[in-house]
Parts: sequence; structure tokens; C-alpha cells
Amino acid sequence: MLFSSGLLLAGPGRAQAKPGAEAQVVQVKGGSPYEITRRAVAEIGGMGKIISRGDVVMVKPNIGWNRTVEQAACTNPEVLRAVIELAFNAGAKKVVVMDNTCHKAEDCYQHSGIEAMARKLGADVRYSDENRLVTHDFKDEYLSKWPVFRDFLEVDKFINVPILKHHGSAGLTIAMKNLFGILGGNRGKLHRDMAENIAELAAGFRCHLVLVDAYRILLRDGPVGGRLSDVELRQTVIASTHIMHADVAAAVLFGKDPKELEFLQAAYAKKMGEIDIARIPVKTLTV
Amino acid sequence: MDAKTSRLLQRLRIISQVFFIWLFFFLLLKSGGAAIEHLPQTGFFFYIDPLFLWVNILAGPFFYIFLLALVPLILTLVFGRFFCGWVCPFGALNQFFTWLGSRGQRKKIPVHRNSLRLKYLLLIILLVASLFASQLLGWLDPFALLTRSSSVVLLPGANFLAQHALQSGASNQGWGGKIVKPFYDFSRRFLLTVPQRTFVQAAAIGLLFFALLLLNLYRRRFFCNTLCPLGALYGFLAKYSLIHLPLNDNCRKCGVCSNHCTYYGSPYQDYLKSECVLCLNCLNDCPFAAIDVRLQLPRAGKRPALDAGRRRILGAAGCGLALAALTQIGVTKKARAHGFVRPPGAVAEKEFLKKCVRCGACMQACPTNAIHPAVFQAGLEGIWTPILVPVNGYCEYECVRCTRVCPTHAIARLTLEEKKKFKIGTAVINRSACYTYADGYNCAVCEEHCPVPEKAIRFREVEVNNFRGKLKKVQQIYVVPDLCIGCGICENVCPRTDAPAIRVGAEEEQRENTF
Repeated sequence: MLFSSGLLLAGPGRAQAKPGAEAQVVQVKGGSPYEITRRAVAEIGGMGKIISRGDVVMVKPNIGWNRTVEQAACTNPEVLRAVIELAFNAGAKKVVVMDNTCHKAEDCYQHSGIEAMARKLGADVRYSDENRLVTHDFKDEYLSKWPVFRDFLEVDKFINVPILKHHGSAGLTIAMKNLFGILGGNRGKLHRDMAENIAELAAGFRCHLVLVDAYRILLRDGPVGGRLSDVELRQTVIASTHIMHADVAAAVLFGKDPKELEFLQAAYAKKMGEIDIARIPVKTLTV
Repeated sequence: MDAKTSRLLQRLRIISQVFFIWLFFFLLLKSGGAAIEHLPQTGFFFYIDPLFLWVNILAGPFFYIFLLALVPLILTLVFGRFFCGWVCPFGALNQFFTWLGSRGQRKKIPVHRNSLRLKYLLLIILLVASLFASQLLGWLDPFALLTRSSSVVLLPGANFLAQHALQSGASNQGWGGKIVKPFYDFSRRFLLTVPQRTFVQAAAIGLLFFALLLLNLYRRRFFCNTLCPLGALYGFLAKYSLIHLPLNDNCRKCGVCSNHCTYYGSPYQDYLKSECVLCLNCLNDCPFAAIDVRLQLPRAGKRPALDAGRRRILGAAGCGLALAALTQIGVTKKARAHGFVRPPGAVAEKEFLKKCVRCGACMQACPTNAIHPAVFQAGLEGIWTPILVPVNGYCEYECVRCTRVCPTHAIARLTLEEKKKFKIGTAVINRSACYTYADGYNCAVCEEHCPVPEKAIRFREVEVNNFRGKLKKVQQIYVVPDLCIGCGICENVCPRTDAPAIRVGAEEEQRENTF
């Protein structure tokens, strides 16, 4: 297990696809969160393409806050239901669900409805445990040595399931920012050069699949929100194997120009992928 | 009374004590992790505590629930200090340690009247001081003492030891780890509090508590005989009670009945109704079944009780007045000059100090470990009252637990909607420390965490020359005082490692504005 962790971590410059490569984004609209998630995964090529029999799979939602589904600050548990089911059906030996929360972990896990859902499906729901932190060297310009929970390293496949929402200092938080949840330590310090840190983290950590929950999106006062009037129903799920392209597509869906988001600019500068949505092959369908 | 009945009665007493210890810790433990709607009535032991019935009549608003405290008072007039011997969980703990200390030794020590008397004087001192100043009985009241010590020391301490033992076991790579792991996972989910709770005053409160327990090895039921103000109150009444332990003709004056007597007396010699807690050890010790238990009207002029003495009581009252004065002149004139923040729902400071019994139930219930016993922040009279320590924990936006468990409504009951609007203080930014001002780079961690939906912490984009000498757009933080409720999560998450650059103080706290 320990040795397989190396597979997940790509050095800078290795994880990203070259600009113009056939990295694909699927966007499914309408229907229930469960339904559109299943459809999105099917359209991207099916879970069987990503998960091999006997894999230990990490599903990393955003469980950052003590908020309910309706407040749209955490990933929709119905989206997770689809992901976990599909992962098990594809032959996963174990599915781990975990996040390093901002509010008290128990509150977030329970209030968001994620813990109950994941346990019901037989997933291994873990709280972050400081004793399981290991220092990892991302070997990049801004992000180098930083404590990471080994739970995220000791898996075979990593599925990133963020929720699309407004974020005060980053502009938006989608899949790339969601990776902050694998980190421990004084994460606030990473806000200093937030955009660069987000890009370098996403470049240095491999996600095998990204599923962006945009069923309900938080339009203002993110990332924590709270007011229902800030939430809008978009009934969309975006699937991609390319983390930056998933974020670009999600930003466009949100109504923001990806070029105005500093972290996407930083990712573009690192040649992680395209920032212009017109140059990314996106398949949109409505069910 | 025959040997069989004697043994039965003594066993019943022990069963009763075990039950009340269980009840006490069950309620307290449950209040630590329960969902808001399932919080248990931790206040139970305080509702039946007549000390606080008195305090609440003397010191302000009266709560009907405290009428429950009349029940043990009336029962005391019949059964004497049965409450101390059969019900009180701290008394039971003291009895247990006394039993530990008495194994194998039968030292005869005469009744020490001066030390027995001390508790009556302490009761008078604290009662008088509470009448003229704030509520101080909680310092020594057995339930307040036990709840406080358990919340701040016993439970977190047990948690620390259990967690470390289980964790080191579970991290074992061999078969040992495989066996311990399921236990660890189970406890991690249902029993342990992670992260470990810490309290500013744990060492002081813990040392005091363990000293009180260990003193039982030196003198039987030390706390109950010497310090307990509640025991003293029951002692005053027990003098007139109907219960009596008369000797019958079987008595051979051997004195064995004093072997395990909690106050070193016995029904044979130095029988003191005011000190007898009905432990019934004497019944069981007597080899001749010479002691009876009877209810009878005390004969006039023959009330076997300790006399506290009129002059001593007057002196104690004088001491109480002096203590009241000391607590009142030993503070700054403006309460608001203090930097501390009280939990949400806390009534205005003056009233708060009269209502709060320093029990620390709120500290156990607080899910984020934000509420701590004050040292001297709130003055001498405010020792062990609850204050928020935001660097340790924040006031969770979606929580009202402390307002539900407070037994005396010093923290008034709030609905979740009321609580979300209840302003306990205001955040203030230290611009010489905040990264966005001092160093000129982005941070906004406090803005991100601010739970108020309209955002009480915001930023404005400003172009500044940062510490690298580059012209850069920086999101500079500011607080909207009207929206800020003072929850302190900003102070809690501020990434500065020396001291938070944003802090919460009692500025504009709502409870003082109600007048």
C-alpha cells in the first residue's frame, strides 16, 4: 500500500495533458443528481475504464462546512451515492470517503448527509486524523513540503467530487481547490499565494476522475454560504478526467470568464491545459 | 436490627450510590456529544440542590423548577442526612475513597468537632457573600464541584489516556494492531472526543479535585465532613429529623460500631444526627445486632447534634460580608473593560454572576471546546465562570447546546434562530499584524470562515506595494460591526502563528444592551 502511493503523485509537469490533447469534458443537465451523475460517468467512458477490480478508491467530496444539502456548501450526497455505487460495481475493493473539514468534522459529516449516505452504501467513512499526516514534497515553486493525510496517498484511484460554488478569495472553488482537503497543517498560510498554490497542488496530485456537482450552486457569500437565496438550482454534473478542464467548464457554467480566475490563469501558465473553453471538447447533453 | 436486615440495608445504600454515580456521569457524558434535540437534562442534580433554591430566592429571579429542591429538604426532616449517604454522587466517590483508605486499618480517632464545624461556617460565609455580591456557593457545592471537575479534568483526561492507549495499539503493525483496531475505530466513532479537549485551568481544577479525593485516605469522607456547604445545610435540618439509631439491650459497649463511622462517632458514643449520613456501616459492624433504626419524634432537649455556636456563626457572617466586599472592590469599574466574551444567551454580567453556579456543564456541552473556566479575567467573583477562548475553539453557528444545559439559566435558553442573531461581541482587526495590511498579500481565511450569510468580514481590493516591493492587488480585510455576532471563528482560523490578527472582544455585546 505504501509503495502504491507513489502512483498517485505525479511530479510537476507530468500529470497534465498537453494543450490540444483529447481531454474530454461531459456536461449533463436536467434530472435528479443521482441520475445525471450516472449518465455523466457513462458518457465519459464508464467507471470500468477508470477503476480496476480490487482497487482501493478514494472519493473526495467537499464536506468542508456544517451546512445542509439545500445550502449547497458541501457535495450533494445523491451525487456521491451514484459515484460510490458505480465504484463498487466496477469492482472496487474498498471505497473511502474523507475530507479535512473546516468546521468540526462530526458536524460537517452529519449535517451534510454525506456520512449517513456513504455508510449505508458500505463505504469506509474516515475523519481526518492528525496522527496520519505525512510530509509530502510537491517540489514546486510555491508549494513544496506540506503535511498530507496518508489516507489520500494510500489508495489506488482518486475520484475528486467537488461542489461548484462561489469563493471569496479564490473566486470559485471547484475541483482544483477541493484538493486542499487532502492537506493538513496551517492551510490558511496557503492563501498567501492562493492561485499558484491551487495550480501547483492540482498539477502535483493525480485525480483519475473529476465529477463536479453543480446540481445546486452557491452564487454568493461562499465558500460557507448559509442563505437559501444565494443558492440556485442548475441540475448539472460535469465529468472529466482532466482536472483543469473540468474547472474551466464549471467556471463557464457558473457564468465566470475562466481567464478572470487567477488560479486558472496560474494553471494555464503552468501549461496544465486550455483556459479557453472553445478549445476544449465539451459534450453537453440534457436528460 | 438483625444481621440480615443490616446487611441488606447497607447493600441497598451502595446500590443507590452506584446508581446515582452512573446517572450523573451518564447525563454528563451524553451532553458532550448529543445532537441538540437529544441533549439530556444535565441540570437534574442542580434542580434538587436546595443551596441553589436558596441562592435563587436570595439573589434574584426564582425558578419554579428549583421547587424540586424542597423534596430532599422535607425528606431530610424525616431521614436526616440520607441525601449525603445515599444520593450525592460526589459523596459516593468520597465514600469509595474512604473505603479504599480504611482497608485493614481500624485506627480510633476521636470526633474532631472543629473540623466538622468548618463546613457550617463555610456555608454561612458563602451564603452571606452570595447575598451581597455574586453567587459563590458553586465553588464548593458538591454538584458544581463534581460537574466542573468532570467536564474540565476527568472526562478529557480519561479521553486522553484511552485515545493514546488505543491509538498506539491500533498502529501496531503486527497482530496486536489487528485486534485493537476495531476497538479504536469503534471508540473513535462513538466514545472518544477528537480532537482532544484542552482547558486553561485543567491543572488547577484537577489538582484540587484529586487532593479532595485523596484526603479521604487521611480522614473519612473529608470533603463531606469538613467542607461541603450542602452537607452543612442538611446537617442543620437533620438535627430535627425523625430518624434515630437507638441501642437496644444487646449492646455490650464494645465500640466496634465506630470502626467505619464516616464522622468517627457511633450510635454508642458521640452520636451526632447532624453528621450521620445514614451509611449504616455501624449496623453491619455490630456483632450483637444492638443498633436499631427507628423514626421517632426527638425528645425535647435531647437532639444529638453538633453545635456550630452562635458566636462562630456571627463571625462567619462577618467573614461573608468581608468576602462580598472584597469581590466587589477588587474589579475595575467598567465590566466592559474586560476582554472576555461570554457564551451566547448569557444574561447581563451582574445578573450572570449571581445566577452562574460555576458548574462547567456548558464547557462539557460545547462541541468546539470554546468555553473555558475563567481564571481572573472576570474578577475574583468570576473565577470558574464560563468564557469563550476563541484561539481554542469558536462558537458554532448552528449550535445552542450551552444554552440548553445551563442549570440556572445564567445562559438563557435560545432557539437556533435567536442564537444566530445573538451578538456576544465584535471582531476587531489588528492591522499591524494582518497579512493583508502589514505584509500586503492575500489571505482572507477569516472572510472565508465567517458564518454570517451576509458576511460580517469582507475585503476590498486595493493596490499596494507589498513586502517584495511589487505593486499588487490585495484583498484587504474589514469587519462589518453591525453584522458581526462575535462567534470568534475568525480568531480561531487566523493563520498567523504568533497571535491572531483578528480578535473578538465584548464590544457591543448584546446582553449589556438589554437595559
